[in-house]
Amino acid sequence: MERRGALKSMAVAMGAMAGLPAWASGWNKSAVAKSGLLAADQSKNLAMIVETIIPKTDTPGAGELGVGDFVQKMVKDCYDAKAQASLASGISNIDEQSVQRFGKSFTDASKEQRLQILSDIEKGSDTAQKGFFSMVKNLTIQGYMTSEYVMTNITHYEMIPARYHGCVPVKKG
Amino acid sequence: MANFNIDSKKARTYDAIVIGSGISGGWSAKELTERGLKTLVLERGRDVQHIKDYPTTNMMPWEFEHRERLPKEIADANPIAARCYNFKESSMHFFAKDNEHPYIQEKPFDWLRGYQVGGKSLLWARQTQRWSKYDFEGPARDQFAVEWPIGYDDIAPWYSHVEKFAGITGNKDGIDALPDGEFLPPHELNCVEKYFKEQVSKQYKDRHIIIGRAAHITEPQQIHLDQGRAKCQHRTICERGCPFGGYFSSNSSTIPWAAKTGNMTLRPHSVVHSIIYDDKKQKASGVRVIDANTKQMIEFYADIIFLNAAALNSNLVLLNSTSSRFPNGLGNDSGLLGKYIAFHNYRATVSGQYEGFLDSTTDGKRPNGGYIPRFRNVYKQETDFLRGYAAGFSAYRMTSNDRDGLGESLKAGLHETKYGNWGVGSHMMGETIPKESNYVALDQNEKDPFGMPKLRISVDYDDNDEKMIKDYMEQVSEMFTKAGFTNVRTNDNHRNPGNDIHEMGGVRMGKDPKTSLLNKWNQLHHCKNVFVTDGASMTSTATQNPSLTYMALSARAVDYAVKQRKAKNL
Ligand SMILES: Cc1cc2nc3c(=O)[nH]c(=O)nc-3n(C[C@H](O)[C@H](O)[C@H](O)COP(=O)(O)OP(=O)(O)OC[C@H]3O[C@@H](n4cnc5c(N)ncnc54)[C@H](O)[C@@H]3O)c2cc1C
Ligand code: SF4
Repeated sequence: MERRGALKSMAVAMGAMAGLPAWASGWNKSAVAKSGLLAADQSKNLAMIVETIIPKTDTPGAGELGVGDFVQKMVKDCYDAKAQASLASGISNIDEQSVQRFGKSFTDASKEQRLQILSDIEKGSDTAQKGFFSMVKNLTIQGYMTSEYVMTNITHYEMIPARYHGCVPVKKG
Repeated sequence: MANFNIDSKKARTYDAIVIGSGISGGWSAKELTERGLKTLVLERGRDVQHIKDYPTTNMMPWEFEHRERLPKEIADANPIAARCYNFKESSMHFFAKDNEHPYIQEKPFDWLRGYQVGGKSLLWARQTQRWSKYDFEGPARDQFAVEWPIGYDDIAPWYSHVEKFAGITGNKDGIDALPDGEFLPPHELNCVEKYFKEQVSKQYKDRHIIIGRAAHITEPQQIHLDQGRAKCQHRTICERGCPFGGYFSSNSSTIPWAAKTGNMTLRPHSVVHSIIYDDKKQKASGVRVIDANTKQMIEFYADIIFLNAAALNSNLVLLNSTSSRFPNGLGNDSGLLGKYIAFHNYRATVSGQYEGFLDSTTDGKRPNGGYIPRFRNVYKQETDFLRGYAAGFSAYRMTSNDRDGLGESLKAGLHETKYGNWGVGSHMMGETIPKESNYVALDQNEKDPFGMPKLRISVDYDDNDEKMIKDYMEQVSEMFTKAGFTNVRTNDNHRNPGNDIHEMGGVRMGKDPKTSLLNKWNQLHHCKNVFVTDGASMTSTATQNPSLTYMALSARAVDYAVKQRKAKNL
């Protein structure tokens, strides 16, 4: 609690950092075009894929936390053209499988059906599709674990710990 | 007419000029202005003011679009800068961009630069160890470079001087090869680091494990509060600039201090082209500057000039300062300007695990690590390579989350942190030998976007470095094994020279003007009112991180220069 208070007053003292000044943001902002990598329906499918990987329980799932957009942004900005193409085709492939196996689009399929499709890919023998899925799964985990929700409520990230103790007992549980 | 005064020569005349506002230039500026000299500080990059111009300093991890990973476009456009471990989404705005500041790699050499007020002091890892007498005596004893014109006793009081002001944390370890300094309370070694320290001292006479000495304020003294700086809060995101001034940077410390005297004029966007030599007076009269915005050439004048553009840029400026008296570069009668470039070698690492202290871990963050002072060839030559290496050593408790499965089971796994063994790791910090064949020179044809000749860099590793790497791997592996660490692995990352950002030499100090450029006061032998006090002046490199020594040399040289000016000798 104290920590939050300290953080807040510091942010006030230093002026909120709403946006980076031109000299600092020039490096990325200009380079990153506005439009996304995927078409709207593909984006929706991706959101459903990440939600299936990390679903809502008593806490929000990856879909609700916007991790789909994160995955898309990372692949668009940080990966090469081949990986970008594999994202689009991988998503389409999942949707097609869903229609073939369950007669429903991936977004309409049941939770169990969606899990079935993804875990078959993960354990399957199609290396291209496996590569695509492992990229999406890794990015989903990264986006989820570094989301504001998880870092504030679950892993309790400390920006300003103000201490280092070299030897403390491991907390049980 | 309104511009008459601004343009007049008088308005462009100062008592002293400092070229560069980084770690060494900040110190030159502070010491000059404190002694009452009207000082012009010329900086090629933009202004960066403490706190105000640290745009990412308070950003949370999730506020970085790519979570610190580099967008491909930026990595591709900056292949050299992007090889620096510290070139990240949160700090890349403090690095010079490859395409805007091109140079020629005659051999692959990663030249990493910070072009702004504060220079690389915003990016550095803040490790600060003194040299020992063995380091200054090295060249004379081992015959690998010219003799240093100063010894440890000449610089020791200046180490104290800069340490007290900058704020250095460390432990008084009483080690011959690594003199103690004026320390603030030390950071803590963790349980495995302490365990390793005990094991090593039991098994080796002259090997020590200590906590690093670093430019962090662990307990502010009045002099730090006077600078507006506060206690370090252990954020360990220093490369974004620290809102507390918890670590030393020119921006948080020396530059605002110099400004407060009222004697400093800071001129950003000023690329120094050359130093003007006055044939009649037989000394330098000022500098030529290219305004980075207008590309116009402007001249500034002063009695004393401090060149602090960082090692290779100081070479560039001197090489570009030609006159009828000095056709090959200012002060370069010996023909050695630009030669004997040396650097540090951090290529090798050793890692392992420890299966003890499994019920313990660490808490919080530490902007520092453990350190193994040099133990090779300190007192006498004992290996088949010259000189030695220091090393970092740190331990951390390994944790992991189960990433298997999908859906709710995966989510549960991610939420549960499992403790593994302790991880231990070390990296070498080797001294390289200055050689004539390692040099920088001006390209005859190609110019950079500011109209300066491009710098050609021709610097490489040699056999001595390879032997040293091998020895480091063997020795540290042995120390790890004796301590009971398992899974011990060595690695040579084969990265380019220069990537360790401690390039030095080219304008080395020495006793004899035939074999050196600078005398024992960092003063050009042949142009007495020009002082070079950054890495360019280093005769040899030692194994210690270099910047503390640049600070001490700068303060010492200013003290001398001001006294000489008063005595009308400059
Ligand atoms: C990631 C990283 C980690 C590091 N870790 C450590 C460490 O732990 N310990 C340590 O001791 N050192 C460390 N260093 C190195 C340290 O930063 C440098 O040794 C130190 O900054 C050198 O000081 P300087 O004054 O020579 O140069 P700089 O601090 O680089 O300043 C030089 C200034 O001169 C300006 N300049 C250059 N050319 C011109 C020109 N023609 N006209 C006008 N201005 C010019 C530049 O823009 C710059 O601002 C590290 C560096 C980096 C990048
Ligand atoms: S570790 Fe200390 S100096 Fe570095 S950013 Fe944090 S508070 Fe500042």
